[in-house]
Amino acid sequence: MLQVVRADGEYDSKLEPNLRDEDLRKMYRYMLLVRRFNERMLLLQRQGRIGFFIESTGEEASQIGSAFALNKSDWVYESYRDPGVCLFRGVPLKALIDQLMANADDANKGRQMGVHWGYRDWNLVSVSSPVGCRLSQAVGTAYAAKFKKDNAVCMTSFGDGATSQGEFHSAMNFAGVFNVPVIFLCQNNQYAISLPVRRQTASANIAMKAEAYGFEGVLVDGNDVLAVYKVTKAAVDKARSGGGPTLIEAVTYRMGGHSSSDDPTKYRSSEELELWKTRDPITRFRRYLAKKGLLTEQDDRKVQDEVENEIVTTIKESEKVPPPTSFSMFTDVYAEMPWHIKEEADELMKEKS
Amino acid sequence: MVQYEFKLPDIGEGVAEGEILKWLVKEGETVKEDQSLVEVMTDKVNVQIPSPRNGTIARTLAKEGEVVKVGQGILVIEVDAGSAPLPIPVESKEQVAPHEPVQTMQTQSSADRVLATPATRRLARELAVDIAQVKGTGPNGRVTDEDIKGMGQPSSEAPHRAGEQRVPLRGVRKTIAERMVKSIHTIAQVTHVDEADVTELVLLKEAFKGSAEKRGVKLTFLPLIIKAVIPALKEFPYVNSSLDEKVGEIVLKNYYNLGVATETEQGLLVPVIRDADRKDIFELSAEIERLAAKARSGELGLEEVHGSTFTITNLGSVGGLFATPIVNYPEVAILGVHKITKRAVVRDGKIEARDMMYLSLSFDHRVIDGAYAARFLNGIIDTIQDPKKLLSEIL
Amino acid sequence: MAVLNIVQAVNRTLREEMRRNGNMIVLGEDVGKNGGVFRATEGLLDEFGAERVLDTPLSEDGIVGMAIGMSLYGLLPVAEIQFMDFIYPAFNQIVSELAKLRYRSGGQYPAHVVIRTPYGGGVKGGHYHSQSTEAYFIHTPGLTVVTPSSPYDTKGLLLSAMRSPDPVIFLEPKRLYRTVKEEVPEGEYLIPIGKAKVVQEGTDITLISWGPMVQTCKEALPLAAKENLSVELIDLRSLMPFDIETIIDSVKKTGRVVIAHEATKIAGFGAEISAQISERAVDSLKAPIARVAGYDTPFPYALESAYLPSPERILRALRKASSY
Repeated sequence: MLQVVRADGEYDSKLEPNLRDEDLRKMYRYMLLVRRFNERMLLLQRQGRIGFFIESTGEEASQIGSAFALNKSDWVYESYRDPGVCLFRGVPLKALIDQLMANADDANKGRQMGVHWGYRDWNLVSVSSPVGCRLSQAVGTAYAAKFKKDNAVCMTSFGDGATSQGEFHSAMNFAGVFNVPVIFLCQNNQYAISLPVRRQTASANIAMKAEAYGFEGVLVDGNDVLAVYKVTKAAVDKARSGGGPTLIEAVTYRMGGHSSSDDPTKYRSSEELELWKTRDPITRFRRYLAKKGLLTEQDDRKVQDEVENEIVTTIKESEKVPPPTSFSMFTDVYAEMPWHIKEEADELMKEKS
Repeated sequence: MVQYEFKLPDIGEGVAEGEILKWLVKEGETVKEDQSLVEVMTDKVNVQIPSPRNGTIARTLAKEGEVVKVGQGILVIEVDAGSAPLPIPVESKEQVAPHEPVQTMQTQSSADRVLATPATRRLARELAVDIAQVKGTGPNGRVTDEDIKGMGQPSSEAPHRAGEQRVPLRGVRKTIAERMVKSIHTIAQVTHVDEADVTELVLLKEAFKGSAEKRGVKLTFLPLIIKAVIPALKEFPYVNSSLDEKVGEIVLKNYYNLGVATETEQGLLVPVIRDADRKDIFELSAEIERLAAKARSGELGLEEVHGSTFTITNLGSVGGLFATPIVNYPEVAILGVHKITKRAVVRDGKIEARDMMYLSLSFDHRVIDGAYAARFLNGIIDTIQDPKKLLSEIL
Repeated sequence: MAVLNIVQAVNRTLREEMRRNGNMIVLGEDVGKNGGVFRATEGLLDEFGAERVLDTPLSEDGIVGMAIGMSLYGLLPVAEIQFMDFIYPAFNQIVSELAKLRYRSGGQYPAHVVIRTPYGGGVKGGHYHSQSTEAYFIHTPGLTVVTPSSPYDTKGLLLSAMRSPDPVIFLEPKRLYRTVKEEVPEGEYLIPIGKAKVVQEGTDITLISWGPMVQTCKEALPLAAKENLSVELIDLRSLMPFDIETIIDSVKKTGRVVIAHEATKIAGFGAEISAQISERAVDSLKAPIARVAGYDTPFPYALESAYLPSPERILRALRKASSY
């Protein structure tokens, strides 16, 4: 399992990726943003100001590290636990909060539950709830990019639970057969709601499953942002140069519950949680940056305040936006509204007037 | 000894079930052939069911008060092994289709519910026929379109002579009959006839034709005549009134709802143009067209045939000189407008060919007198004959 | 003008569109080298190459999922599901994803895939090669469902399906694949989605049908004519969206309706049409709306001919409706 930075911040300089100082600081800032975002949104949900939330606390490194390896023109089939990937690719914070509040500014027109992101301007494909079905779609998109000779790759991010779905198998199989430029990023956070990964699969790990489909599987410390970046970059470069698919298993830990409706204390021990706290990706990276002289305590406080401010201000803005119109319930079912939907829309509009 | 299940036989035409009123024998009792076993009540008749054989009642299968269907077993009778087998109850000859539940017969006779398809119910509504009063001749006593239209089913009471066909008086025809009689028997009806020189009117209609087409309406003479009638009604308010016989008061109306007698397949209907004084000739045209179409397709609503204060009947297209129209009770007068023909008339000492039209005004002499009525009609004719006057009413 | 059967019409139309649209991909099991088990894609691999005609592994969900991903990136995937009976592994992709992508993304990700699949019985195929389960897809908002009954309509509808911005389930009546032949014009013509065809005008009864059953209805027409029944036969062609105007105009004219479909009766599409007619034209009805449909059993093998609605069964329903 590849690791560049240890939990205590010590690092293997031979393994360090070739990144500039501002890249490293950017990574740190985004990980902090994701962490604070998660904390804040969960609070909002408990206050009833948003209806539903899925946090990714503890998984910031696998999100930011992988997102960093991609181009603007690459496509991503992100999961509902990837706000960091969205933010890093350039989606404004307000767009995410608008989606959670399902208001009229939401790019997805408030159609779905919270955390079902979808942002065309940044090639982030609309998320749905059933896990596992995105993988074969990512294969199709990768195939299309290869067909059009666009030099783009496609990454799809999913959890350990999704690897049990038949669609995981189909997608991996198709990816191998058609040799498409796709990156399967499995963020193994050890749990699929309440099922621990050792009950999800009898395989020693998930990365090894790639061999069955004829391509490479890579195991990486998911809490080490630089390691994640490295392996993802390698996979992206390989794909871009015609080398085909890669399965990356980023070993990480879901610090919170599955969602705002889940209570993990029912099925997890506090000892386990404490253990993983020592492996916290942000603490680790902070220590690394400090060791490299790139982050003073003052800098740290400054960036934390900025992030905090940004979130608080954006929440206020999003809360001002009204909900979508009733009529919008009837649009986009088809490209053009057919007669039977129009009738129903007219009926509702008449009732309301 | 052999046991047979005795089933409820077909008691009478159309009966499908009966209620056990009273058992006349007991279990274990020996009975003779033809002996009454049980009293059964049907919707047609109360009957006593006789025993089909000599034998012993092994057991009864239904209780008093229970409803049993024709063909359902009501008792088991033990007979000598040698006796002939029991007759199977004959299939009732009612027109029930095999899959339909027998309940249908019962429902129709016991409830007020009428059987009819939606299309037939609509026809009944259109013809203003109370479907509950119609005898159904379709399957299961269903009311058919023909039943509604009153075709082909002669009244059973009247003598039926060869060379004659009987058509029941129903629907719109019946209504018209009743109202005409009421009017004639109540009103002291007089008809006053006059003629009008409508040469200018004809020209005026041509002049407005183009504007009408632009608005998508077909302009007839009627709106122009209405424009002549309204000021006359205003000048002679007793024409636009009703006599409230109960309290002995003449009710003068200051609203002007014009009934327009319209010929339809079902009979004469009189749709009403409400507030005709507030509509211009194009609005009147459109309204006349709309009401006529609805009248012909049988879709007039109740508010569209009520509340007229004055009626105009136009027989010009059919022909005739003039007529004696019957007042549309409880109004006070009705104006008949007739065919326009070119006639030779004397004008300024010369004989000229002019477009001439007769107008007949029938009125209720209880409320207005002949001179009043004549002056009213003169007023209309003056306006029609003087294009300046007519134009000033139109514009 | 060539005389073609339905399979040939499919083949020709796919080929012409592949030539016209360089972004079109054909994919499915056995569609490439084998030309499709019904030969619908014969010759396409040779002309367009393995990059555009894909023999996929045996996985319906993989086929549809991959097609979705292709379409989001801008290709036009025309996927074949070998038999409608095998479509169910892909049900999640079709219902959860394909049907909902445009809606759930607020219009950002319209998915346009054409899924071609042979359906219907009459080929001695038993439970798993004979199903007509169009109802599942009609009942899913976001999907377009069409089914031709003739070679001419096949080309026009398939072209419309491929040019539509929405996902389309294109149901091919397999037992008519080779039995119906007619002239199919060269060049382009589109049959609009959502428009039914009045196959024969009549005044006594409206007979509504689609797909393979249209042929059976056509066989019932002369039998009806012998009994002086003037039948108006409507081929819906488009099941979602469907042509309510043509249906209601006809019902208002005749007042009597028989709906004929191969799919099982309960909750079949005939039930929806019946409800729509009763909502919009009940005052015109002179008889109850009747359905002639497949029995509510799995599709039998030995007793297939007893199962499938026959012209005689349709005639009986027409008689009953006309004499109510």
